[in-house]
Formats: sequence, C-alpha cells, structure tokens
Amino acid sequence: MSKGKMTVFKTDRHEDMAAMVFVSLVTVAVLLYMAYIVPNITITPTQDGKLVALKVAPDQEIKKGDLLYTFEYKDKKFVDGKLEEKLATKDVKASTNGKVLSVDVKEGDTLKKGKTKMLVLDHEKGTLP
Amino acid sequence: MEERKGMAQILAIIPGLAVMVGTLYLLRTFVEPWMKDAVVFGQKGWLVQVLSLNYILLSIIAGIIYRNVFFGGKIPDWAEAGFRTTRLFIKSGVIMLGCLYTLQKLAKVGGIAITLISVFVFGTVLFVIWYGKRIGMERSMVGVMAAACGVCGVSAAVATSPGVKAKPSEVALAIATILGFGIMTMFISPFIGKALSMSDYQFGAWVGTGILNSGQVLATCLAFNPTFAPGTAVAYGEIWNVVRVISIPFVVFIVTTWACKAEAAESCATGADKMSLGKVFKDRFPVFVLGFFGMTALSSLGWLGAEGSNTLHLIRDVMSWIFGIGLVGQGAYIDFRELKTAGGKPLKVGLVAGTLKYVVALLVIMFFVSKDASF
Amino acid sequence: MRILLALDDSAQAMDAAVRLASERGAGLTALFVLDTGWSVYIGSDFLLGSHARGDFLEYTRDDEYSQEHKALAEIKKRAQVAGVACEVKTVASRHIADEIIKEAAQGYDLLVMAAPFRRGLEVMRDAPSAILKAAPCDVLFVRGGE
Repeated sequence: MSKGKMTVFKTDRHEDMAAMVFVSLVTVAVLLYMAYIVPNITITPTQDGKLVALKVAPDQEIKKGDLLYTFEYKDKKFVDGKLEEKLATKDVKASTNGKVLSVDVKEGDTLKKGKTKMLVLDHEKGTLP
Repeated sequence: MEERKGMAQILAIIPGLAVMVGTLYLLRTFVEPWMKDAVVFGQKGWLVQVLSLNYILLSIIAGIIYRNVFFGGKIPDWAEAGFRTTRLFIKSGVIMLGCLYTLQKLAKVGGIAITLISVFVFGTVLFVIWYGKRIGMERSMVGVMAAACGVCGVSAAVATSPGVKAKPSEVALAIATILGFGIMTMFISPFIGKALSMSDYQFGAWVGTGILNSGQVLATCLAFNPTFAPGTAVAYGEIWNVVRVISIPFVVFIVTTWACKAEAAESCATGADKMSLGKVFKDRFPVFVLGFFGMTALSSLGWLGAEGSNTLHLIRDVMSWIFGIGLVGQGAYIDFRELKTAGGKPLKVGLVAGTLKYVVALLVIMFFVSKDASF
Repeated sequence: MRILLALDDSAQAMDAAVRLASERGAGLTALFVLDTGWSVYIGSDFLLGSHARGDFLEYTRDDEYSQEHKALAEIKKRAQVAGVACEVKTVASRHIADEIIKEAAQGYDLLVMAAPFRRGLEVMRDAPSAILKAAPCDVLFVRGGE
C-alpha cells in the first residue's frame, strides 16, 4: 500500500519549463497591455530632483526622441571609495510618438521619485511607452 | 502526498497559493505603508530605518510565523500543494531578473563574479576536505559538506548525496545546518552592510560570494535594498547567483570524483553509471537559468521597452510581486524545530567553513572591490 | 494486553518490547513508518536542476525501504527467538509521530519506543515529546545505546 505513495516526479525540468512559459505569458501580457490597452501613461520622475526646463505643453503632438523636460538632481557617485555628491542635469526624451494630454508641473518644482505626477501622455498604439 | 490527477491536482494548489498571495497583498497594501509612518521608540519609521524591515523580509517572516506558530511546525496537507509553488514563483522571478541587464553589462560584471566565485568555491572545497578529514568525518559526508559549503548550500548537498552515497539522516543534519546558517546571515547581513556603508555593488558581490545557501542570496540582497532596478544590490547579487548555479554541476562532479576515489570506491557510482561531466551536467543543470539569459537578450534588443520606460517599470513591478509571493512560501519551509537539532560534525564543519567564507569574502570585498560599480 | 512497538534502528527498544511481551504474554505489534517527508524537507529549494531532486528523493526512498527491511527482519528474528508472536505493520507518512499516535489509539495498552527516536526525518524533530503530549496509552521510552 505504501509503495505507490512514495513516487515523485523524476525531473524538475517540467517546473523549469513551466516557469519559463509563465514568464513569457506575463511578459507578453504586460507588453500587449502597454502597447494597446493602457489608456494613457503618467510620467513620473526616475529620481528625486528639481525641474529646470519643461519643453511640452498640453495637446502638443510629440515624436519619439523629442525632449520632454530637463531636471536637476544630486548625482551620488563613489569616487575612490568616497561618496561624492554633485548637481547634474538630465534630459528626459519621449520614448514613443504620441500626444501630451496634460501637464501637472511647472518649472522649478521639486520632483519626488515615482511620486510626482508630471505629464500624462497618449501614445501611438503598438509602441512601448 | 496523496496522488491527485488533473483538475484535482490544480485545485489542491489553490488554498496554499491563496494564503501566499493574500499575505503579500496585505503586507504591501497595509503593513508596509503603516510601518513607514509608525512611531516606535519615539522615532517615526523606526521599523523601516533601524530594523530595515521591508515587504521582502516581512513576507519571509510571515511564512515562518505560519509554519512555526499557526501550523505547529508542520505544513498542513491543505496548504502543501500550494506552498510548493514557491519554487515556481522564485524561478519565474529569477528569470524575470534578466530584464535588469543587457548582455554587455552581464559580460562586464560577469568576469569579476566568475573570478571571485571560482576562487572561493575551490578555496572552500579544499578547506572543508582538509578540515573534515581532521575532525574525522566520513568521506561521503565530507563530500556533501564540501559541495554544500563550496557552492550552493542545500542544492549542492542534495545534488551530491546520491552520488557519494551519504547517509540521508546525516544529509538531513547538513541541510539543517546550512539552512540555519543561511537564515542567520540573511537577517544580519543587511545590518552589517549598512553599518559599513557598503554600496549596492559591494553588498551584492559580498553576499553573492559569501553566503552559503544560494537560495538566500536574492532574499538577502532584497532585504538590503528592496528595489528592482539596474544598479541595486539584487541586480549584482543575481549575477553572482547565476554564476554559482551554473557551477553546481562542476563542483558536484569534482567532489563526487574525489569522494569515490578512495577505498570505498565500489559503493560509489562506478561501473555502468560511471560519472562523466557531461552526464552530471545533463542531470544537474537548472534549465530555468537559460530563461534568465533569454530575458537579458530580449532586454538587450530593446524589446521590453527602453530603460526608464513605463513598460519596463511595470515588468519590474510584476516581478516584485512574483518574488514576494514566492518568499512567503520560502518562509513556510523554515521550521525552527528542525534547525534547532542541527548538530554533530556537519554543524561544526558548516559553521567553521561558513563563517570563514562569510568573513573572508567581506574583507576581500571591502579591500579590493571598489564601491563604484562598473555599471 | 497489547503492546505496540514503534520501530527505528534501536535494538534496545526491540529487546524491551519483546521481553515485555513474553513476560506478560501480551500480543506484540511492530509499526514501521516510512518517511515521505523528504520532498517537503527540501521542498523550498529552487536551484535543484533537472534530475537532482528526483535522484535524491529516489535515493532517500531506497534508503527508507532498506531501513524497513532491516528493522522488520531484526524484530521478527528477536520475536522468534523469544517465542513471541509479532505482527508487523508498515505505513507511509510525512508525520511520523502522528502516525504512531494514530496506531496507538487502536486499543493498545502500551507503546514502546526509543528515545531519541531515530526514524527518517524524526531525527530532526522530537517525536518522543510530541507523543508524550498526545499518547492515548502508557508509553515506555527506551534509552538508546549510542
């Protein structure tokens, strides 16, 4: 009676394959969602900082590579084992063609990484924002 | 372990899985935001800033509490099938981590990782063989401990045991030792890293080199910095981890060959199923690692969106949920009752080799690896 | 009177059970629990590649069977020498202590087992204390020789 119960899968490869299939499905779902379904995207800063230049206005059509805004941030870098901070600026460009729906910041505003709602964009279907 | 078929097998997963998902949801939506503002010992956010609690550690702790407090030390039958999916989730998470890199970046850091790991793996293997012999451990168990301390902890111990014919009850002790040591390092490493103000790069490299059990490398890195992005501890730690995982078959091969060379050769895998590196590789290589490289390839081609794009951000967000779900399950496999009984020679060897590796790795990283990452 | 002996590799426990059974003219049942807990014990490890888990579980399973054969042969031999009738039972479970308690509740008067109890992954846990808490009958713990 006991012998049958002790059988196990001989291999873990099916589990590895399942993980790969699962990841593929998740990735495809995310890509499709972002390319076709998401109604609009909100641009938030990638770092804390200060907005120094804003190059777009509401209802403006944008092309991939157009400059959206420039911000100033504290660049922390290890130089010779010491943490050095200096102010640096970074340009943020549009990653797809689209249209600006609304602008919620103005020049001089402080930006909170991932928190501050900056721009709302519409993007061309089939591209990845 | 009743045998279930088809639909019933899938349905059996639901209760345990629901517990894992539900726990993570509660932790991330209620507990974590509450902790950020909670005033403990008169300091706002003390739990986060001083104890460095984040959702990653909380998920593991929640799992541990389920197992050890609510379930009385056993994983109940209704939850077992669900909790077992932890492997699937962590594997998926590891694959998705591939999106943090491009092939050029991997090549850049990979060289350092391979160098450090090879030195430490062989250093540890030689040390364990010498030390194990000195304290008179059985040759088969020396083999198991050498592989376990050398590369990937539990995984290596399990992969080596059948080949060297180690006694299962001894292997159980070895596993408990390694797991216990790993859990300890998982909780103290973030403090050490912060006390020494290590950079993410240094921390990832240290943990990736020095922690005994590879299963705990990622969790430790995430405990240090729970962000999934290029340049964070987990991004570096993962490169180390992948190199370690790929090296398992080599170490298993070398250790088994060594252990079987001796007088007890006839009891080892000889004759018909004689060991060859090719066969060991085929039998012991974790295929899902290929998925990781696949993800890196996709990200190098820019098919997952540009760096900093909302698309990539969403993928990483999904990834953090997948990891979190898996980690609740990982916690549920930690039984303090079992860890407590770790003892005998495996404990001695594991403790000495583990501590030595952990400390030497820390020194090497602090003195020879710059805080400044190469990417 | 009925005596239940929970088997592990302890000869002392076997001897004690056989002696008691012959002294009191009691019926002796020997229970061997095969441990199926190994797949849970290593269940969280996600880095086991390809056949590593399967090979290991087969390896532990074979070891369980050989322990079973050894223990059953041993107790039968001892019972025969002492002239005691001994019934043997084997069950498979990942909760060894629970299985022993369940069997002990089937109208036995005395449970005999070794302490520490070295059966399967119970070496990692503490079966005697779990059984002490829940035992449905008298229990005799036999100290091991090692």
